[in-house]
Amino acid sequence: MFDLSLSLIEGNLFLKYNHHHCCLDYHRFTITMPNTEPEEATRENRESNDGSFECNICLDTAKDAVVSMCGHLFCWPCLYQWLETKPQRQVCPVCKALISRDKVTPIYGRGSSRRDPRDTLPPRPPGQRTEPEPHPSTSFPGFGFGDGGFHMSFGIGAFPFGYFSSTIFNFSDNRPAPSPSNPDYLEDALLSKMFFFVAMILLFYLLVA
Amino acid sequence: MASMQKRLQRELKSIQTEPPPGVSINQNSVGSSLTQWIVDMEGASGTLYEGEKFQLQFKFSSKYPFDSPEVTFIGPNIPIHPHVYSNGHICLSILTEDWSPALSVQSVCLSIVSMLSSCTEKKRPPDNSLYVKTCSKNPKKTKWWYHDEKV
Repeated sequence: MFDLSLSLIEGNLFLKYNHHHCCLDYHRFTITMPNTEPEEATRENRESNDGSFECNICLDTAKDAVVSMCGHLFCWPCLYQWLETKPQRQVCPVCKALISRDKVTPIYGRGSSRRDPRDTLPPRPPGQRTEPEPHPSTSFPGFGFGDGGFHMSFGIGAFPFGYFSSTIFNFSDNRPAPSPSNPDYLEDALLSKMFFFVAMILLFYLLVA
Repeated sequence: MASMQKRLQRELKSIQTEPPPGVSINQNSVGSSLTQWIVDMEGASGTLYEGEKFQLQFKFSSKYPFDSPEVTFIGPNIPIHPHVYSNGHICLSILTEDWSPALSVQSVCLSIVSMLSSCTEKKRPPDNSLYVKTCSKNPKKTKWWYHDEKV
């Protein structure tokens, strides 16, 4: 009959309710609390001692602290118990944002306690950390285009093929191309044809077999 | 159980030191087990309930704050409000399905003060007489029908 949800966000009280006649009403009140702290120092002192690191459920300093994606701090045992209480509707107790076991981050202080994790509870979810991306130029050293030529070769792993990995795609090779008049050229061409022929036969054999 | 009492102790301290406007805790009502409190409440000025005094009873189960408190108006003056039944039961979703452990006695009191303050016409819920005859003693056992939720 009367559905009222209330959220207090930074001094603004949001009051939502439904009832019979008007289906949905939103009222927004701004609550201005009287400033009771006379001195800035008192307030700072208070904030650093209480409040800031209190679990939103037990109101004590958060132990085995976890923080939700929406930024709300809880003891892991407290939050776990709440998530178990309403497994079908897991929302942040403070702001009702969706929340789940995998979406909370544990907070590790330097002097965190070494007391035993509670037997009845699963351990806190682990922190998530991603390795930084390695620098591209160092990961594939042979792939740079800056070293004067574009090399591409192919071959089949066994010795003879690896040896005569094709020179057809070997652009801008620094070796001088043999001239047709050179006797080496004929020899080269013959050798090349022969190896090519052998390679084809083997390749064919491999395909058939 | 221990955590429930620890939290109630903290809440008690905080409501004693910084009570919401028009709200005060009835010290005598709080037993050593802290499971039952009575809160005195005044109608906010400038509203239909100005000058009226009410009493709210809070009962906490051992599962508090994961389980909501049982909150009812008690005493001679039950506010006449479209969401408050004459037996003191309050139809307020944060007291049942919208309860969250981040809420507290203070925030519940504040919600109820706001609920009263936003009222424009003093009247009982339309199904008051039927409900009062048939309901359970514990308002949390009522399957509240926040009917217009879907609309």
